[in-house]
Parts: sequence; C-alpha cells; structure tokens
Amino acid sequence: MKRTQLGEFEELVLLIVGALHDDAYSISVKKELKDRTGRNPSIGALHSALNRLEEKGFINSTEGGATKERGGRRKRYYQITNAGKKAIQTAYELRTELYKLVPGMNMQ
Amino acid sequence: MKAPQPPKWADRFLRWFCSPEQVEILQGDLHELYHERLSRGGRSKANLIFIAEVFDLLRPFAIKRKRTRKINSTDMLRNYLIVAIRNIRNQKIYSGINITGLAIGLACFILVSLYILDELSYDRMHSKADRIYRLTEKFESDGVGEHSASQPFPVGPTLVNDFPSLVEKSVRLFNFQSPTLALANRKLDKEFNESSIFFADSTFLDVFDFEMLAGNKETALDEPNSILITRSMAKKYFDDDDPMGQILEFQGAENYAVTGILEDAPLNAHFQFDFIISFSSLKNIYGGRYPRTWYWNPCWTYVVLPQNTAPETFHDQMPGFIDKYFPDFIKEDLTLILQPLTDIHLHSKLDYEIQANGNSNNVYIFSGVAILVLLIAVINFINLSTARASKRAKEVGIRKTLGSSKGKLVNQFILESVMYTFFAVVLSLVIVFLTLPYFNQLAEKSISLITLLTPTYIISLFGLIILVGLSSGFYPAFVLSSFSTISVLKNSHLKIRGFGFRRVLVAAQFVISMMLIVSTIIAISQLQYLQDDDLGFNKEHVIMIPVIRSPMGQHYKSFKAEAMKSPDIISMTAVEEIVGAKHQVANYQFGEMERSKPFPHFQMRHDFVRTFNIPMAAGRAYDENILSDDSAALVINEALVRNLGWEDAESAIGKPVKFGSRPNGRVVGVVKDYNFVSKHHPIAPLVLQLNLHSRAFELFIKYVAVRVQAENTQAAIDHLDQTWKKFIPNRPFDFFFLDDKLNDSYRAEQKLTKVTIAFSMLAILVACLGLFGLATYSVEQRTKEIGVRKVLGISPGDIMWLLSKEFLIIIAISILISTPLSYFLLNEWLNGFAYRVAITLWPFLIAGFTTLIVAIATVSYHAFRASHINPVEVLKYE
Repeated sequence: MKRTQLGEFEELVLLIVGALHDDAYSISVKKELKDRTGRNPSIGALHSALNRLEEKGFINSTEGGATKERGGRRKRYYQITNAGKKAIQTAYELRTELYKLVPGMNMQ
Repeated sequence: MKAPQPPKWADRFLRWFCSPEQVEILQGDLHELYHERLSRGGRSKANLIFIAEVFDLLRPFAIKRKRTRKINSTDMLRNYLIVAIRNIRNQKIYSGINITGLAIGLACFILVSLYILDELSYDRMHSKADRIYRLTEKFESDGVGEHSASQPFPVGPTLVNDFPSLVEKSVRLFNFQSPTLALANRKLDKEFNESSIFFADSTFLDVFDFEMLAGNKETALDEPNSILITRSMAKKYFDDDDPMGQILEFQGAENYAVTGILEDAPLNAHFQFDFIISFSSLKNIYGGRYPRTWYWNPCWTYVVLPQNTAPETFHDQMPGFIDKYFPDFIKEDLTLILQPLTDIHLHSKLDYEIQANGNSNNVYIFSGVAILVLLIAVINFINLSTARASKRAKEVGIRKTLGSSKGKLVNQFILESVMYTFFAVVLSLVIVFLTLPYFNQLAEKSISLITLLTPTYIISLFGLIILVGLSSGFYPAFVLSSFSTISVLKNSHLKIRGFGFRRVLVAAQFVISMMLIVSTIIAISQLQYLQDDDLGFNKEHVIMIPVIRSPMGQHYKSFKAEAMKSPDIISMTAVEEIVGAKHQVANYQFGEMERSKPFPHFQMRHDFVRTFNIPMAAGRAYDENILSDDSAALVINEALVRNLGWEDAESAIGKPVKFGSRPNGRVVGVVKDYNFVSKHHPIAPLVLQLNLHSRAFELFIKYVAVRVQAENTQAAIDHLDQTWKKFIPNRPFDFFFLDDKLNDSYRAEQKLTKVTIAFSMLAILVACLGLFGLATYSVEQRTKEIGVRKVLGISPGDIMWLLSKEFLIIIAISILISTPLSYFLLNEWLNGFAYRVAITLWPFLIAGFTTLIVAIATVSYHAFRASHINPVEVLKYE
C-alpha cells in the first residue's frame, strides 16, 4: 500500500483543524496559524493544503454558516477524520523515536 | 449606508475562472477577509490584497476544468437508442406521420435523382466521349433558315483529308430522313417497316464503343452491302438461327449480308439503332458514287478531335473550309459549329435531330420540385419534433438533474432524428422499389434498381441520412435541451420557445404547396393550349402513309385515282414532311432580291390545301389542269409576304421568283399562316412548292396524306390497305394518324405535366400530414384553456374559430407570398414558348381555396374533438 505523505505545512494545518474542533474553517485556521506560528499563508495556499488533506482523507468538510460579511456565502467547516488522527499519531511517533536517537536530548 | 465592496472586476474574474464547487467558499473567504481588513486599514490596501489573493487562487484545484469524469458512452448510446425506440412505439401516430412524411419526401428525391443521373449519363459510355463532337450547320439569313444537326455528304471525309492533325476520325450516319424503311428475311418470310436503320461509315465502331456480340469490329462495315443487327433484331428476323452471313432484303431491292451482331443500343444514347448498314452500300443506290452536292445536308457527321484539342482550333479553320467547298450562294449565310457529344441529349434542339432529345429545363424543374417536396418533409419533421417537445420536457428535466449536459442532450436528440431519418430512408427505399416501374412509365425511362446499389449511390444515401437527420434534428434538439430543469420538473406552465419560427416553417410549406398547385394547373392548361388550339390547318382525320423510296413514285397517279373511288376518302395529297412538325430549307430569290436566301420550304403534290383545310389569303392553290405549275408557280404564306416587305397578300400575286433552275417563277397564291412546326416556334416564312418530278418519291416526298370521313375511318383504312396491296404487293402497308404524331411534339411538356402533378399531390399530402400533426399538438397544448373556456360557456363555433384562427392567418400570409413568386416563375417558363397561355387569376384562386379547405378540414377535426372535451376531465388535476 502506498504510504500517504504528510508535508510539514500540511501537518500544521491538520493539527490546527484538529485543535479547533468544530470551529475549523479557512479563516479561523489562518488566524490560528498566524497566532501560533507567525506564518501567514495566502487563502490560495491554505485552501490548496486543505484540499490536499481532504483528498488524502485526513479531513472531512461540511458547508454552512453564511454570514453578512461573506455576502451570504456559506463557509466550509473541516473536521479531522480518524485517518487524520492516525496520521498525526504516526508522525508524532516517528519524530519521538528519531529524537531519542539524538544524543543529549532527553525526552523522558 | 452600503458597505464598500471589493473591486467588481476581480470578483467577476474569480467567478469566471473558478470551478463551481469551489467558488462559493473561496469567494466567501476573500470577502470575509476583505471586510476584516477594511475595518483595520485603508480601502485601497484591502482592494490590493483582494486582487492579489484572487490571482493567487489561480491554482489547479480552484480552476474550472472540463469535466473529465469518464462516462460509459456506449451505455449512454444504448440508453438513447432504447429511449428513442420507446418513443417511436409510444407515439405511433406522431411517429407514423413523421416517418411517412419524411419517407415520401426522400422517395421523391431518390426517384428524381435516379432520373437526373440517367439524363446526365447520356452518351458518356464511349471511351472517347469527351473528344467526340457532332458538326452542325447554321444556315440563316436575317434569322430565317435552319440550324441543322446534319451535313452534306462530302463534309466528313473532306475534313479528315484536309485536316489530318485536327480530325482523327469522322463518321457519318444517314437514313434518307425517312421515318421507316423496309427490311425482309425472305427465307423465313419476315417483313417489317423499321424505324431505326442507319447507314454508317466503317469508322462507326472506332468512334463509338457499342458492344459487339459477334463479328469482327475492325472489318464488319468495310464491305458494301454489309449489315450489323442488334440482338433483339436477330431474334425478330432469324428466330433462333445464327444470323451471321445471312441475307436481309432492303426496301425490296438490295440484299445485305449480316456481318455482325451488336448489343441493343443503350437507352442512354442520343440515337437508337436497330440496324447499321455499311455506308458504301449507298454507292449502289446512288448509281455508283455518293451524292456530291455541298448543299443538301442529310448526313449526321461526328468527328473525333485529338487529345487536348480545343474546339476553337477547329472552328478557326472553318471559314476557309466553307469558302473552299460550299456553293457560292450559301457561303455567306453558313457557319459550321461543333457540338460536344455529351451535350446533345440535354441541350441540343436543332433542326433534323435524329430523334427528339431530352430537355434540360425539365431536369431543372424536376430537381427543383423534388427538393421542394423534400424541404416540405424536413419542415414537417422539425415542426412535429419541436411541437411535441412538451412531451419530452420531463425526460429532459430528469436527465439534466442526473447530470446530463446540454451538449449531451443535443447529441441525444440529433441521434434520435438521425434514427428517424434512417427508418424513413428504409421506408423510402421500399416506396422507390414499389413505385419505380410506374415512375419509369411516367418519365419514359427504364431505370433499374441496380443503379441504387452502386457504391457511390450507397455512400450518398448515407450522406443523405446524416444530412437530413442533422438538419431536421438540429433545431428541435436545441429547443428541447434548453428547458430549464427546475421549471420543467415543477410542472409550472411550460412555454415552448420557437413557436414563431414554427409558424414561419408552416407558412413556407403552404407557400411551396400553393406554388406547386398553381404550376400544375398552368402547366396543364399550357399543354392543352399547345395540343388543342387552332393550328391554322385541320389535323383531325388525316391518315399519313410513309412512302419514301417505295415504288409509290411510279404508281401515285393510279393509286390516288383508285383510292378516291371510295366515298370514305375525301382528299389525298403527298407531302415532304409531317405537316405541323417538320420542314426543309431551300434557296429562293424573290422580287428585287439581289441574291437567293434560305427559306423554310415544303414540297407536296396537288390537293395539299384541300386535304389539310388551309384557307387561301389570296390567289389560288396549285391546279392539276395548269401544267406549268410545277416549274413556274409558287405558293407562299403570309409570314413570307410580311418578311419580304410586300404590302399584302393580294399584292404578292404575280411577283417574280427564281428558284433552282427555274428563273421565271411567279407567286400564284398566298395561304393563311398555319403552324407548320410545333408551337414552340412562332410561324416563320414558308414556301410551298409543287414537286411533280417522277423521282420525287426517292428523296423528297415521304408521305401520302389522306383526309378520310370522320365516321368511317376504319372503312377508309381498309380501302387504302387493299389499294396499296394492289399496286405495291411486296411492301407492308403502314400508316399513322397525324394528330397522334403531332401530339408527340409535346412529349416533353406531357412528361413535365405528369411528373409535376404526381409530385404536387405528394407535396400537398406531406404538407397536410404536417398540418395534422401540428394541429394535434396545438390542441393538446390548449386543452386546459379550452376546458376553462367551456366552463365559462364558450360555443363550439367559437372553439373552432379559436383553433383555426392561427392557421388561417398563416395561410393568408402564404397566399400573399406564393402568388407573386409563382407568377414570376411561371411567366419565365411560359416565355420559352412562342405560343403561351396568359396567366389568369383562377389557378391562384383554386390553389388558395384548395389549401384553405384542406387546412380547415384538418384543423376542424381537432376542433371538433376539442369541442367535446369534458372540462371535468382536463381540469380535475388542478
């Protein structure tokens, strides 16, 4: 089976979508990303990452929540899927194992 | 106050390039960010960022793409076919009308195309067809004279001799210009008068590629007294014997040996032959050598030019050639013109054609009519398919909901109409198959069905299916596929587009139908006028007996005396050609003319004007008691008097005239003008010349003409037969009625009339089918309206008016369009005749009323049904 790769930016976005629970949509993800990492991706870059994640099956989307600022247009909310959680888990484990091999690093 | 909005163009650009699934979300995001930035900073900065972000979105995931999802198109195709077949089955009347109408149109089209292909195939079977020309002779002075298809005896060989680099070969055909010649096989005692005998040069089979079944192609016509016969003639004269080497007796005098058997002449050759006799046999008949005159022109002369030689090169040599050989008194009025062999059948209308040719006008008219009938059928198809669109609306809605694109729907409906066309073509082939024998009879052809099986024809037939299918399916397909999904499925009031366009189409149908009706009526009345109107002589009850080169010359006086003993025979004369059909030309020098000029002339014996009841305008007819009449007297017609500029008929009497070797002639009589040729031509000047020469029957006098009692025709014929046998026992007695023969001159018009009648009826039938179908749907569309109106108390008469009103307006408009159009076209056609009927109002009235009545009858059937609608039935679902 082909292993699905998770890029660094993708991983961040996926984590934030997971962290935001029910409130994850493009703008909130963008804000969270900016607050936590200082990175300010364009809407295009963000959406293409979200799209890729959705295609890989790590997140799901539903539509809803039209507001006046959006001119009555709906938002697309994202939820992390089990596969997404597993992917974070795998990435986390992989990193932890690698950290352990670095001398002088003591991560308990 | 309205909040500021991002730049519209960027927004619009986004909507344009962005895929439909993404556009709402992305646009929403951008707008939300824009408003946020707006609240934090300047508007122009927000605008700038907005624009930047829009362009940043030009990424693969967001850009609209053509749908690349794979659809199993063979499955869809099968679905389309199934749906189409179900539709045909479920709507039998509609499909029946549609397919039948189209099939009739196509059948007409196929039949006429067969006819035209046949007409165009004339004389193309020869390998040298593009290099063979017939040399014609234009012999005219001030428009009076002849344009002859034939040449003097010496022209052919002299051309080959004088211009060896310009004329490869030549061949002459000759038949004494006699309607029939006698042949006999004495062995089996078979004796017939034959109408298709030709004397031909030995080069005959080098120039023309007629198929030879027996004998040597190279030498068959080399020897004098050789004869080639066709396969059917072999059967006729020799039964099952081998004809090769056997003897046929010609005109009771010469014996010819059969040296070859030819396949029957192809029907698409411009001359039909049964026998070809070697030209050198004529030497014997003319006392040892060919006639050497350059004036008398009885030989149809064909030449083969070398490859890539333009006829102009040949024409350039002609003035010198004429000057060298032709007699002085005609040189000035003479031109020699080449006529391409393949042009003869459709375009040649010269004097002394071998046989009547086709008519290019008829070809144009036939193809025009066929295309019109097909057009009516296609219009029907478009109309009916669009009209019943409402029936298919739900299907369209469902298909669109399930993801069918507009293009796919267009494909589906075009496929469907191609399928309808396919069925129609199959049906039309059945119709063609069944009607071809009748069509052949009508058009005097013998087209076989095998023509339909040639590859080119099959390919063009498929082309026709596609073309007709596409052109008739295109418009309905677009109307059908353009329905809005929601309104169709919500069953809201469905307004079908294109009703105006359909009205135009129906009007076009009526215009065409009415034009065809008017043309048919006028063609019939023109034909009747040509055939029945006064000719200036009486063609009824005249019996014509072909006598050329028969022993009649020696017996004429006693034959006449004996025949006249019967009370049933009123008068008898002998004539050069068929009166009212043909004439010859000779040179005369009247009054003060400086030199002689060609004039139509006609030779005959005494009692001519009495036999044909031609009234005299002045002077007297030839008199048996005045012995100098044949050398010193001439009778002319009124047109000649006018042509010569003489005051009137009376003043012409006694004027001097020189002709032939007779310098002291006088005009003794003037006959009133009569139509001495068909009414295609106006009455020209004419000289009637008495020929009492003892050998006149060998060359000039071709018929004995007898006026008989109307009541006792049969007795008169019997008496003539007996008298004939008494004087000329070894030649079969043969005769025909003058009026029958004269009607043959109008064969082309008869054919035209018959074919237009048939096609017009079909066109009207198809148009009615269309109207019927259209009315069906128009009523169906309005059943609810009628239901409501009935509840409110409308009367049946008003319902009728309500439904027919629309069609009546269309018909009124069609009448307005078709009347001037057909007037113009028919006027053009009639102008081709020297004698023509005037175009009167009544054919137009008839056409208008017929169409109106047929239309009302068709519509009222529906109106009647509509007036019996039960309002409860149609309104209960509301």
